[in-house]
Amino acid sequence: MQPWARALWPPLAMGVLLVVTWALVDAYGGVIYKGYAVRMFLNLLVVLALQIFSGNSGVLSFGHATFIAMGAYLSALLTIPPEQKTFQFLTMPHWLSSWIFPANLSALEGVLAGAGLAAVVAALLAPPVIRLAGVQAGIATLAILVMDNVFNTQTTSITRGTSTLIGVPQTTTFVSLLIWALIVIAIAYVFKQSRFGLRLRASRENIRAARSVGVHVARERAIAWILSGLVAGAAGALYGHWFVTFSPGDFYINTNGIDLVILPIAMLVIGGMRSVTGAVVGCYFVTIVYTFFNRWEVDGFNGTVSTAPSGTANLVLAATLLVVLILQPRGLSRGKELPWPSEWRLPSVGGIRSRLPSKAAR
Amino acid sequence: MLVATVSNVFQYAADSVYYGSFFALISLSLSLLFGVMGLMNFAYGELIMAGAYVMFYTRSWGWLAMVVMVILIVTVLSLLMELLAFRPLRHAEPVVLLITSFAVSYGLEAAGWMTVGTGIQKGVQPYPWLTSQFDIGGVLISKLEVMTWIVTILLLVGMTLLIRRTSLGIQLRASTEDFRMAQLVGVRANWVISAAFGITGLLASAVAILFTFRQGAVAPDVGQGPLLIAFVGGVIGGLGSLAGAALGGFAVGVVLNLLQATLPLSINNHFQLFAFAAVIAILVFQPDGLIAIRAGLVRTWWRRLRGSPAVGTPA
Repeated sequence: MQPWARALWPPLAMGVLLVVTWALVDAYGGVIYKGYAVRMFLNLLVVLALQIFSGNSGVLSFGHATFIAMGAYLSALLTIPPEQKTFQFLTMPHWLSSWIFPANLSALEGVLAGAGLAAVVAALLAPPVIRLAGVQAGIATLAILVMDNVFNTQTTSITRGTSTLIGVPQTTTFVSLLIWALIVIAIAYVFKQSRFGLRLRASRENIRAARSVGVHVARERAIAWILSGLVAGAAGALYGHWFVTFSPGDFYINTNGIDLVILPIAMLVIGGMRSVTGAVVGCYFVTIVYTFFNRWEVDGFNGTVSTAPSGTANLVLAATLLVVLILQPRGLSRGKELPWPSEWRLPSVGGIRSRLPSKAAR
Repeated sequence: MLVATVSNVFQYAADSVYYGSFFALISLSLSLLFGVMGLMNFAYGELIMAGAYVMFYTRSWGWLAMVVMVILIVTVLSLLMELLAFRPLRHAEPVVLLITSFAVSYGLEAAGWMTVGTGIQKGVQPYPWLTSQFDIGGVLISKLEVMTWIVTILLLVGMTLLIRRTSLGIQLRASTEDFRMAQLVGVRANWVISAAFGITGLLASAVAILFTFRQGAVAPDVGQGPLLIAFVGGVIGGLGSLAGAALGGFAVGVVLNLLQATLPLSINNHFQLFAFAAVIAILVFQPDGLIAIRAGLVRTWWRRLRGSPAVGTPA
């Protein structure tokens, strides 16, 4: 087999999976399941953003909702029709309103601007984050998340505080999300295989050994962190342009259905954060489980059975995450990319064979 | 706005000490589990939530029965948490434990919304004798505040005695220092960790009772707010050491209350920004001194002793 075909196989297979999902849901899903699929694609963008940083560096981030919020807010501010801005943001300081009020960007420009701001914020936050690992990094990124929430809720003049931002143009479509997801899968996979990704993965496996062969761990982490922030910012902008209205609570820990803090992390950990395949698999798996129980609690599968109490889906999600962490800490994909079809093996009993290197790997 | 009369100063001081004591209790319980198993337990907020709901359902039983029920149920919940979620992940990395605690917290909160959190807003009326205030030369102090000070001091003294004087305390300290080594010299891991979770449950029930009497309203997410503040305090003080964390929680509570009283509202709203920025700065610049995972005071002290030329000065 051609080496390039082998190298391109995992992202191509993922892409085909996404396109098939899109085609099936678009044709047969109806408005309800299309809603679930849209959320899955939005979540997938966030999960892939997390995978770019956490998967390759091994440093977990709870703070990515910051970038999502940055992308969503800036893109919304720049694309809401000028005449609406004047009465939504009465107290915006002049140095901002002078260029934000007249701005009337197109959808794509808005998304790119949002992603750009997220990348800038990521660059500003990079110095502390890249120096931390393990539980300290978890706590620090969580602190970033809280800071972002304080900013979003308290800076009323720019974000309208806890009030909902309205009038965001509805420009995100199901197709555009598919295209963005395909692009981001390519970005994540190419980054992982690039020299940057390789150096970062080396530092994840053994930070001292990586340093000893000349890997500048802080620099590599910073690159991944900023790229990851960029992708999350784009996802946030698309989120705003799909749901049309949003408020700070959407970008903070919540249990109202679409959670952008815990859910993407759960997806990534369940799928296996070390591979792009894992990110996609986790996103699909969690979405399917969540959708199943959510339909059950909303209308009992169109009234077939009596409805489950509201909150069941969240509870099941937490339990699923716990069970996967206990039974398969490396996630459903075990941190590997999708193997070439001729190398597919059934998981062997006892797991001994699967731990031996396969012929191809040798 | 602040008027600096003598009685005002004492009023703020009394209130600040009250806030500080409250957050010191939470930080202390967080640091216990962090020290023993490297677990930053975000499910602690749900222990407070559970306690608050127990109080709601037993509010007509009289205070003694209520307190007993809260202690019983919260402690059992804490032990169950360990048994079902954290015991199978005993050997996982701290960051995996962090995700686990999020999963537990998320699940318990969802369970709270599903069961007890439905229906109308619930609340617990504090007893009239608890809210009655002493007037000491113009300084108003409620009995609840006095009770918070007393409970905090009693629990701190109790914890210190437990840690310093009992066999369990020695085992806990040994596990905080080096968990694997402690196991090798005969400390039973299950016992020590269960005990740590049990003590956490006890402290959480005290926190839940004091908090619910002050707050009144009960909802499945009541625990999140105080937990975050105490967590800042814990990190600033040093989650690796019990005394450090309690001191940190106390300091943050005091500062927060003083700033709330003195700063104009517009700045005050953004104060948490600075608090959490301080957390990040401490994690970066003082990770060893202020966060000591499985490294007790002794090792830090020894390192400083070796590092510094002035041998003999206590670090």
